[in-house]
Order: sequence, then structure tokens, then C-alpha cells
Amino acid sequence: MDFEALWLTLRLAVGTTAILLLVALPLAWWIASGRGAGRALVQSVVALPLVLPPTVLGFYLLIALGPLSAPGRLLIRVVGHPLAFSFAGLLVGSVIYSLPFAVQPLVSGFAAVDGAYVEAAAGLGASPWRTFWSVVLPLTRGSLLTSAVLTFTHTVGEFGVVLMLGGNIPGATQTLSISLYDKVQEFNYAAANRTALVLVAVSLAALLLIYSRRGGLRRGELV
Amino acid sequence: MDVAFSLTQPWTVLFGPSGSGKTTVLRAIAGFVQPDAGRIVSCFYGREFVMTDTAKKIFVKPHERSVRVAGQGAALFPHLTVRENIAFGARPQTEGTAAAAIVEEAIARFQLPALAEKFPSMLSGGERQRVAIARAATAAVSLGEGSILLLDEPFTGQDVRLRDELIEELRGWLAIMERPVLSVTHDVGETFQLGTEVIKIAEGRVVQQGPVAEVLAGERERLLEQLNASKRSPA
Repeated sequence: MDFEALWLTLRLAVGTTAILLLVALPLAWWIASGRGAGRALVQSVVALPLVLPPTVLGFYLLIALGPLSAPGRLLIRVVGHPLAFSFAGLLVGSVIYSLPFAVQPLVSGFAAVDGAYVEAAAGLGASPWRTFWSVVLPLTRGSLLTSAVLTFTHTVGEFGVVLMLGGNIPGATQTLSISLYDKVQEFNYAAANRTALVLVAVSLAALLLIYSRRGGLRRGELV
Repeated sequence: MDVAFSLTQPWTVLFGPSGSGKTTVLRAIAGFVQPDAGRIVSCFYGREFVMTDTAKKIFVKPHERSVRVAGQGAALFPHLTVRENIAFGARPQTEGTAAAAIVEEAIARFQLPALAEKFPSMLSGGERQRVAIARAATAAVSLGEGSILLLDEPFTGQDVRLRDELIEELRGWLAIMERPVLSVTHDVGETFQLGTEVIKIAEGRVVQQGPVAEVLAGERERLLEQLNASKRSPA
């Protein structure tokens, strides 16, 4: 069992999930609370990683974060080293690649909240900020959990973007899925099987968390 | 719509048939809709608070207005208990009274002690409506002097005996606390019971404003005739 790759994968998944929840909450609320060409464009860009081959996204991120582009050169000057082929670069790539998995469940959850609750809160003197935290978010806890779990598991299972952007450096950018690929290339099927089983167990545990939680929602709570 | 009126009495009823625009007027005062043109002002001891003035491009956000609202449909927050719902709109401290004391008073006045720890999904339609009225009244009392309570069809779904008790409790509490009420209804009997002052509205315009006996004399006669006719005809 490659514990180094497991530890790196978990760090990447936790970091990506934490960053994406901070980004996805306001973004999803903004998308869900209105219409217009601007929102449609943002929603399309957010959903792009769902339809793009991971290698395409990985390639453009490799260019954008490396010394071949102006933003990449600026980043090198700020950070002191290229983000490509580093853990920080992987984190940036994972955040972008998993963005739709974090945003979509929240948009669906927010859109399902009855506008009468939001209006009732305003009619009782609650600011939009308080309404969001005290009314909207508690009613969409199920969607928040789904968003976090999908982001986490999707990051754990990433392959194409990670390989394009991070390469395969043990201890720095080698995740479990890349370690599994390596072992298959070496015909070490016993080790590959152990790694694959860990990935299956993580995914199954995450899905169990979502579905068992759905059975225990508080009355009136939306998924 | 084109309406203009002033509220001078402790309880005023906006009366009109369905679709006459009375709810729209209430929503404009609450700040949920913005009129194309006009002013909405509240006055308290000679001081004017402009909530909407389209000419001066003033539009105060709903939560910053000196009004508290119970809209059509209870809209109780489903993840909160009855007590938590009522406490939602209560400010921490009002005129030396702690919010918790105001909440407890509302629970007692509106006969809610047995329901206080229940969730809205466990209540009947009438009970939910009662909690919604208690919640809005608590918010208005807690907001302080100068605040107005807006109620949209507040007693729909209440049985007659409970409705009478609720009206008396609400009227008594708000009179003590000096919080004026503007309520909307299409029910003649309820209007007679509620209003010292009635604004009759039809097709988006104010038809008449004055004491209930004067404004709704015709409706009262028609209602009595219908009642007599139904008594005369065999069942």
C-alpha cells in the first residue's frame, strides 16, 4: 500500500473541498437567485469541466500556470517557483476541475427553497446575510453535504488533470489513482488491487454518507 | 394601480374583492415590490420616515423598514420550532424588555404553550397561521415605537371562536404597545370585527375610506339579506 500517495490524495481532497465550499456557496447563491445572460454564461463556464476531456483542461492549466504564459510568469514571480508540477498547482487544478461538482448541488438546493421563506425573513427584519445563514443554509444542509462529498470523492479519483498538471512525482504530485496506474504498468496487480480497493472504499463510504443522511433529514429540510 | 391613503387609526383594514390589488398595496408598503411612482412614508410624533419616494429615488430595503409583515400563507421556517420561529424576528432588547420575555408573552397570549416545541410540519393549517401572526406581532413589538404591523388575510383558516379570541388578544397587546396595524381581508364579517377604519379598494383604486359602518353599509345589508333568505329556504 502506497501510504505516501494516500496521504497526498487526502490532503488534496480536503484542501480542494474546503476551498470549493468557500467559493461555491456565494457563487451558487448568486446563480440560483436570478436570471440573465451573465448568469447563464457563468453557469456554462462553471459546468465546462463536466464536458471537457480532463487532458484538455490539464493542458491549458499547464500552460496557464507555467512559464510559457504571462499569468504563469507572474505567478512564478509572486510564488517563487512554477505552480505546475507542484502540490499547489495540483490544488489549483483540482479546484477548477471539481468546481461543477461543488456548485451544481448547491444551485439545485438553493433554487428549491421556497421564496416565501426568504420574503418572510425580510418581513421580520432579517438582513439578506442573516436570511442566508439562518434560513436558506439550514434548509439546504443536504445539498451542502452532497456538494462536499461529491467534491471530495471526485478529487480522490482524479487522474487526467493531475497527470497533465502535476506529472507523477512521488511525495509531491503522485496521487492514489496515478500510483494505481504505475502499478498496473509494472504488472504488480496485487499492489494495484490494494490501491484500487482503497479508492472503492472511499467512494462507497462517501455515497453511504449521502444516502444514509437523506433518510434522517429533519422535517421540512430540503435535499 | 393608483392608490393614495393615510393611516390614522390603531387598526385599519384594507378591504376589497380578490384581485382588487390590496395585497399589492401591502407588499409595496413592506418593500417587496417597488411602485412605478409614488411615496410611502411613516410618521411618528411628527417625524417622517420615507420608505419609498420614486421622485427622489429612495427605496428602503424591506428589512430596514419600520414595518413587520405576516404575508399570505404562514411561511413558518420548517427547521425551527414554534418558539424559535416566534423568536426569529425579536430584537435582543426593546424598551428595557428582553426579547425572551416578549417571545414568552406572545406564546402565552396566542395560546401556544402546548405547541412551543413542535415543528411547523406537526401543526394544523390554523395553528400555523396563529404562529405566523404571533411571530409578526412579536417582531413589531420588539422593533420598538413607530413600527407598523402588516397582516395579509391573517385569520384565514381559523375557526370562528378562536379567531374572535385571537383578534381580541392581538388588538389588546398592540394597543398597549402602541403598534398600529394595517390588515388585508375580503371578509365583511371580519372587517366589522377588526376595523374602526376601512379603506375600500377595487380595481386598483381606493373607492372609499372611513368608519366601517359607513364604508361597508351596503355589503352588510347584502350579507344580512342572504342570511335571511337562507333561513327562509328549506334545507
